[in-house]
Amino acid sequence: MAATSEGKILGLRAHTWAAMGAYLSTVSIGIPTILHGLILSSSYDIGAIREDVYGTFTNTTPTDAYRGAGRPEAIFMVERMVDQVARALEMDPVEIRRRNLIEPFMDGHETVTGLIYDTGNYEAALDIAVDMFGYEEARKAQAKAREEGRLVGIGVVTYTEICGLSPSEVAGAVGFGGGGWESAIVRFHPSGKVSLMVGVSPHGQGEETTFAQIVADQLGVSVDDVDVVYGDTGETPMGWGTYGSRTTAVGSGAIMGAVDKIKDKGAKIAAHLLEAAEEDIEFSNGTFSVKGSRAEGKTIQDIALAANTAWSMPEGVEPGLEASAFFNPANFVYPFGSHFAEVEVDPETGEIDFQRYTAVDDCGNLINPMIVDGQVHGGIAQGAAQALWEGAVYDDDGNLVTGSLMSYAIPKAEFLPSFETGKTETPTPVNPLGVKGIGETGTIASTATVYNAVIDALAPLGVESIEMPLTPERVWRAMADAAQGGE
Amino acid sequence: MQTAPFDYYRPETVAEAIDLLSSVDGARPLAGGHSLLPAMKLRVANPQAIVDLTFIEGLDQISQDGDTVTIGALTKHAAVCASSLLREVNPLISFTGRHIGDPQVRNRGTIGGSIAHADPAADYPTVLIALEATINIVGPNGARSVSAADFFVDLFTTALAEGELVTSVEIPAYAPGQGGSYQKHRHPASSYAVVGAAAFVSVDDGECTAARIVVGGVTGTPKRAEAAEAAIVGNPIAAEAITTAASHVPDALDNPMGDAYASGEYRVYLASVLTRRALADAFDRAGA
Repeated sequence: MAATSEGKILGLRAHTWAAMGAYLSTVSIGIPTILHGLILSSSYDIGAIREDVYGTFTNTTPTDAYRGAGRPEAIFMVERMVDQVARALEMDPVEIRRRNLIEPFMDGHETVTGLIYDTGNYEAALDIAVDMFGYEEARKAQAKAREEGRLVGIGVVTYTEICGLSPSEVAGAVGFGGGGWESAIVRFHPSGKVSLMVGVSPHGQGEETTFAQIVADQLGVSVDDVDVVYGDTGETPMGWGTYGSRTTAVGSGAIMGAVDKIKDKGAKIAAHLLEAAEEDIEFSNGTFSVKGSRAEGKTIQDIALAANTAWSMPEGVEPGLEASAFFNPANFVYPFGSHFAEVEVDPETGEIDFQRYTAVDDCGNLINPMIVDGQVHGGIAQGAAQALWEGAVYDDDGNLVTGSLMSYAIPKAEFLPSFETGKTETPTPVNPLGVKGIGETGTIASTATVYNAVIDALAPLGVESIEMPLTPERVWRAMADAAQGGE
Repeated sequence: MQTAPFDYYRPETVAEAIDLLSSVDGARPLAGGHSLLPAMKLRVANPQAIVDLTFIEGLDQISQDGDTVTIGALTKHAAVCASSLLREVNPLISFTGRHIGDPQVRNRGTIGGSIAHADPAADYPTVLIALEATINIVGPNGARSVSAADFFVDLFTTALAEGELVTSVEIPAYAPGQGGSYQKHRHPASSYAVVGAAAFVSVDDGECTAARIVVGGVTGTPKRAEAAEAAIVGNPIAAEAITTAASHVPDALDNPMGDAYASGEYRVYLASVLTRRALADAFDRAGA
């Protein structure tokens, strides 16, 4: 990374060796390239970027996409280097980031790597995170702790990521073996209840709720009356899967398309039943009514019954109240945010006490804040685990020695502090609801944030880098090596 | 994975259990099952028959008789930590129980099963040697007692003979001026002790009159750090003396074990640090 003495980043050059395993799997080569190199500008205005990526065959397990896939590595690389520049310039990690953040934009920002970011307001998220974390006080407390010989560290990351995969034309152009669109069917039953069939599959991410909320909110039905049908290809329309934080970012576009068709058809039927012109019909809170008229309108349930019985339909309109729609996004979406972490390292044993974590993320408009927070929480734990605990270890003969959960450490609740989360909301024009993906921001930011915190804790000793995961022994050895190097 | 097929017996008395263990080919006793069953599912252990001890009544009692506290072999870890008697008369064992595994393990695993299994990374063996516990055993040839120090022979190997069962563990009730501590570096995946250091000390008038220091997780069985004990006994309690004593711990730890998580070298280093902390804490608890 090249930067001026004022901390303005000028350029970035990277050589990346990406372990592919013994065979190329589905999207393996896309991870260290499209999902990695293209996002290296992250939240910063960087004038020149070059990355050479070498896919390396190894005799270990084939690699493929894992929550964040490519972006965590990109953000890790960039955020480590930003910290190193700050350290070299004796500049505060927040300040150097502030100096390089892209100015707020609502109609696109082109990076030197060729991406067109949709919308961004990076400094706003940083300001809130600084405030929520109590950054100034934390630095003061850290200075005091250092005087006592304690190794307290604060990690800072600002990030922008690319998700909501993807415009199908891009998928085709880069050789991805599928499309990037989604589809949905909204079907009203005579009872007035709704089935929503989606091609994407929520399996733990919570979209049964999110999608039901969208339909309920848009069509004015109770959320309890929406049955979200997914995961059974015998009942659902075509979809391209749940990955790349696309399920709501792309899937909601298809739902909204179907919802609009339902509203249009409903308005036609309502106009017929209310003996009014279609353009005089308005739809609000689940009721079609005639503009300017006090007469009672028709609820969408009335319309659903009328459409399903078809006793009296407008001319040329088919029975039933059902619509299918497809949504092919015109661009990716680009969530962003600022994450902070605090750790304390035991100067004797190298054990890391993970004490505090604050995440401020922007995924555009929020549909269900609790589900969004759940995604952020899980992502933070998963990303922090890469920094601190998780690692596939092979012996000299190529045998995996961390082959069970008795030897491979996944994060447990007791290892983690309570996370603080905050949001800014900068809608995207890429989809009708202005939503960006939130499934992966946690892992994308937290590995680097926690790692930066640990290196910051060890800064007084002169430690600059340690291989992940940061096991106590590795930290202990790094401290010992630094002490020897200092002599 | 599923276990290999096995026969299952459910005795209701110790005598019946011993009879089965002696008469049924390839029979293994089962208590909490948190070591044996995973081993069977991995087909590391393939006993032809299981003698399930959990329906034998009376083996899960904790009682005090004078200076001696007896913990029945089938007492679950959760019961050890929950016992108000133990918290009062031997807080060290109570504390240790609380740091074994996770709630599921503590709700199923038993003290007798843990020590009979003799995992080098288990917590109880280290602490029981420090407490100079007595292990009570019953077998085809009657009852006998073995000191904890003699009970643990090697990696997964104990003084138990074929057909013998642990029935209870005897530990002392603390005398005035005694204190104990167990400091554990927990493996982030398994929760076993990467290193566990136990210190049990007696203090009189600001001076250490007795100390037992034991380190587990580093060698095949927990090792008493006798040089460290010798360095602290007879000395006034001070940080410097504690540090000096702890620096002798590596003397007791020849051929340390290592794995992908922690090398032998690091474990030996940790043993010194954790011993120093255990000693300081034990003296603190002894009221020094």
